[in-house]
Amino acid sequence: MRRRVLVVDDHPSFRRFATRLLQSGGFEVVGEAEDGASALAAARRLQPELVLLDVLLPDMSGLAVAEALARDSHHPRVLLVSSRSASELGAALEESPAAGFLTKSELTAEALAAFADGAP
Amino acid sequence: VRAVRLGVWAAGAALCTAVLVGTIRGHVVAAYFVGNALSTSTGEVFVVPHSQAYAGYLVALVTITLGVLVWERRPDSRTGILLVAFPLAGVLADPIVFAGSRFAVTIGLAGAWLGAVIAAHLILSYPTGRFTSQLDRGFVAVGYGFALVSAVPFLLFFDPRTPHYPWFPECYSCALPLTHVAWHDVTGVRHVLNGVGVALIVLYTALLLRKIVRAVPVARSVALPLAVVAFLAAARFATLLGLRLVAPSSNVSWNSAWDWSGTFVTLAISLTLAAGMLWGGAGRGAVADLVVALERTPPGSVRAALARALGDPSLELGLWLPERRAYVDREGRPLELPAANSGRAVTVLGPADAPVAALVHDPALLERPRLLQAAGAAARLALENERLHAELRLQLDEVRASRARIVTAGDEERRRLERDLHDGAQQRLLSLGLALQLARAEVGPGANGAATLLGEAEAELAAALEELRELAQGIHPAVLTEHGLGPALKTLAARSPLPVEITHVPDQRLPAPVEAAAYFVVSEALANVAKHAHASAADVSVTCEDGSLIVEVEDDGVGGAEPRTGSGLAGLADRVHALDGWLTIDSAGDHGTRLHAGLPYAVAAER
Repeated sequence: MRRRVLVVDDHPSFRRFATRLLQSGGFEVVGEAEDGASALAAARRLQPELVLLDVLLPDMSGLAVAEALARDSHHPRVLLVSSRSASELGAALEESPAAGFLTKSELTAEALAAFADGAP
Repeated sequence: VRAVRLGVWAAGAALCTAVLVGTIRGHVVAAYFVGNALSTSTGEVFVVPHSQAYAGYLVALVTITLGVLVWERRPDSRTGILLVAFPLAGVLADPIVFAGSRFAVTIGLAGAWLGAVIAAHLILSYPTGRFTSQLDRGFVAVGYGFALVSAVPFLLFFDPRTPHYPWFPECYSCALPLTHVAWHDVTGVRHVLNGVGVALIVLYTALLLRKIVRAVPVARSVALPLAVVAFLAAARFATLLGLRLVAPSSNVSWNSAWDWSGTFVTLAISLTLAAGMLWGGAGRGAVADLVVALERTPPGSVRAALARALGDPSLELGLWLPERRAYVDREGRPLELPAANSGRAVTVLGPADAPVAALVHDPALLERPRLLQAAGAAARLALENERLHAELRLQLDEVRASRARIVTAGDEERRRLERDLHDGAQQRLLSLGLALQLARAEVGPGANGAATLLGEAEAELAAALEELRELAQGIHPAVLTEHGLGPALKTLAARSPLPVEITHVPDQRLPAPVEAAAYFVVSEALANVAKHAHASAADVSVTCEDGSLIVEVEDDGVGGAEPRTGSGLAGLADRVHALDGWLTIDSAGDHGTRLHAGLPYAVAAER
């Protein structure tokens, strides 16, 4: 069965290509969101299994979105992505309940498949 | 205004003359019963000796003349007007010449106490004519009220032909007051009023003592001669009222020596008062001391020297800055000159169109105009010097502030550039990477080497992205803005080619310019260590001490670093100095290099 994914990023072109990449990797992209508030609403409505979540969103931090999702009864696995490196994001990233982190330049079909299969 | 003054003087002089003529021509017998009841005497018929009539006339005339002169010379002070009013009130309240006129008798009865209250007003408000204390103001207000109220029983019931004064001869030509209602014995009322009068005099004496004790030295020296005379007058008046209370029939006031003493006290009051205001002492001794003191006065202490010389510790000094057209204090802070009637006086030193300084002082100093001028002239050079100091300090402060603003604005611009790169080019390139990845997957492995080409393009793009990321990081580290100095220094340490240990970093966030400066100091220092020091390791420590952020970077390399002009370190030193900080580099010998910088953050937070 195809895994249901929500894509959250404020850059439309990134969302478009990420969606295509996910689809080509066998995922079902059930929705897209461009900021934290709509991401939370969409996650509650669509109940995806995975959320591809940008760390830097216009209204709130992706880390805060990940924390809110972790508190939800239906808590999807969250893959944080950012154009910044893990060291630049500091300790907050290490403490995040998200299941994994990738820089955007590391985002490949293979890495997504590995994450979906349970690797960090 | 001058015509008004002349008119007042002429009217006063005419009234005094009329009184003199009346007195000498002997309308005394009839008139004196009125005077008796009012203030000065009890007892028998009394004919004023001519010598005393002339003396009284002269004293009144001199006092009115002095009052008009003071009014003319010192229009800002009310003392002149009060000085004119003082003898006029006395003349009106003593209608010795017009005993047959009901109008004059009415005025005389109504104003019986007025002269005494005006004298108290004059003395308590001397030399400005304005009260410095609410208590004084209240006392004089009560005094005027008492003067009016105490006249009422006499205006209603007094009759000079009263049988209640058995020792009075008949007085057929005396007039009744216009307001006369009935004929009663007012002796008891008069005793009560005299008692209140004695109490008021005691209170007045206490207020006068308080005024003298609380005055600044110059005000005391101005007011003291007058105060001595005023005490004498009060004592004389109190004795008279007291005697009337305890021994109503004693006839001390018939004693001609007693009467002469009254004339002299009045003259002394007006003379000491006018002398203080018209002929202020030069205070040459004080100015000589000032000249000597200024020799040894360090910059910034001219105010203290002037305050000592002028005897006014409350003296404030305003230095005129011609470019700003404003006064400042010696620290360069703007100084507003007090408004008129604020209880402070201002003397501007130097020409009116190009003043050097302004002295804000106790109004009593205006009674020493020559001392003020002489002290101002003596201090001119020192003040000129002080003014240059203040101007320089002000300019230095402004340069410092603008330098800090330039650094802050530069940081802001770098932050914006970094954000633009991150949000713009970097995101597009990342999307492009994904697109290339998708294209490679679409093309598949065997399409004329297209997949290989796309793979190479992806690698090239990844390299470009990495360079762009480093460029953005170098322009301004986003981690610093978002997470503070600790995480930012950790990324620096992680990127450094040699091991870097961060021993201390403060947890709290500090003003952005301070964090940025500390970050760039460490960044540049670590870059230098990697490039030139041949070191095996470096230590970084950042601590907060007494409101300053102390940054230390040490290595175990060969030393020899120095902040040459144009080098990265020199630029850093400028950045640090712009925030009022300091930066030293100890790189002598073979103990490696130790960079030490301090950045005050309390000051930066205020900007």
